[in-house]
Amino acid sequence: MNTPPLQSESANELYASLPPELRTELAHYEQSVTVPEGTNLIKRGVLPDQLVIVNSGKVEITFDCVRESVSVDCAAEGKVFGMRAVVSGELPEADVTSQESCHVTLIPRNAFLGVVRQHPQMYFAIAKILSSDLVMAQRLLKTSLRRRASKGAGGPLVRWPH
Amino acid sequence: MAYNFKIIEDCLKCTFREQRLFCDLSREALLKLQNIKATSVYPKGALLCLEGQPPRGVFVLCTGRAKLSTTSSEGKSMILRIAEPGEVLGLTAAVSGTPYEATVETLETSQANFISQTEFLRFLQDFPDVGLRVARQLTHNCKCAYGEIRSLALSNSVPEKLAKLILQWAEHPLEMPGKRPYETAIRVTLTQEEIAQLTGTSRETVSRVLSSFRKKSWIKVKGATWTILNRQALEGLVTT
Repeated sequence: MNTPPLQSESANELYASLPPELRTELAHYEQSVTVPEGTNLIKRGVLPDQLVIVNSGKVEITFDCVRESVSVDCAAEGKVFGMRAVVSGELPEADVTSQESCHVTLIPRNAFLGVVRQHPQMYFAIAKILSSDLVMAQRLLKTSLRRRASKGAGGPLVRWPH
Repeated sequence: MAYNFKIIEDCLKCTFREQRLFCDLSREALLKLQNIKATSVYPKGALLCLEGQPPRGVFVLCTGRAKLSTTSSEGKSMILRIAEPGEVLGLTAAVSGTPYEATVETLETSQANFISQTEFLRFLQDFPDVGLRVARQLTHNCKCAYGEIRSLALSNSVPEKLAKLILQWAEHPLEMPGKRPYETAIRVTLTQEEIAQLTGTSRETVSRVLSSFRKKSWIKVKGATWTILNRQALEGLVTT
């Protein structure tokens, strides 16, 4: 079967684990946009209406640690954001903001969940994405513990770079 | 019975299945799981996997508890969290093919079912309900990790952190005949050194703070059984 090339097919972490027919199905719901620097693609505490796939450009992930904001990571093309919130309804813990002009693909939450309901085998691809999100959270936790241990429990709060 | 629990050989007959995040699978998936798992009982202190090691597979913790720890650049061990029965350990490493994120060590005699990475990935692909369970556990773990990060940033005092930990453990109380209605008994298998690793402090400080809790009659410690005598006082310490 010849599958038409898709806009966001270029090795994003979701599509990399999906068969061509499912990529084609999701492509019906895709919306591609270019966003300027400083656009808040995912806002912490707000349930996103869509999955965000970064096709080009860099984004920054920041976690609000109550008294300060922690820059967790920078990500580039291929990264998918909002998966945990979309599949579980849990509010996002981090902000995702474009660091430059970015080309992104958006897949509406309800459309995505509809495809997942019809094709539950997609959970394998979903688990892979959630897994990499968890790795990121675990690394932040380790850094946080290490800094605290080196400063002592009674010491000042961990200082994070902004 | 050589252990203080019954070894569960057959997942289909496991009575805890419905309460567990991962194990409540379809009959077909359970039959497959039965074929691909290797059941073992590990003594206290057994290392299931090591941080940085390439993934070999996952361990489904059936009975017992295990600590997930990491090491600082100075070689100091720090506990990330305590895994409870029903958790799949080594999940992120097996799914993403990255090295194990933490060292997993049993805190008490434990039963765990080992599934090789290849078999587990095939199992995940072939049974959508397994994928759904795995996604739920990953979501839960992620939420816990962010909660821990916040808690570390917020809790400044060791008494507050210890009070929080004790109240957290009290969510799984021990059944103790004869205890007063306001008392909550918990089983604590961690040493003071491990509690220190979990709260990012020293063993001496943990000892001092627990001693002050005891003197104020907030808790009673008898071996591994701790009894919360004044829950309100402990809750009063927790500001976050």
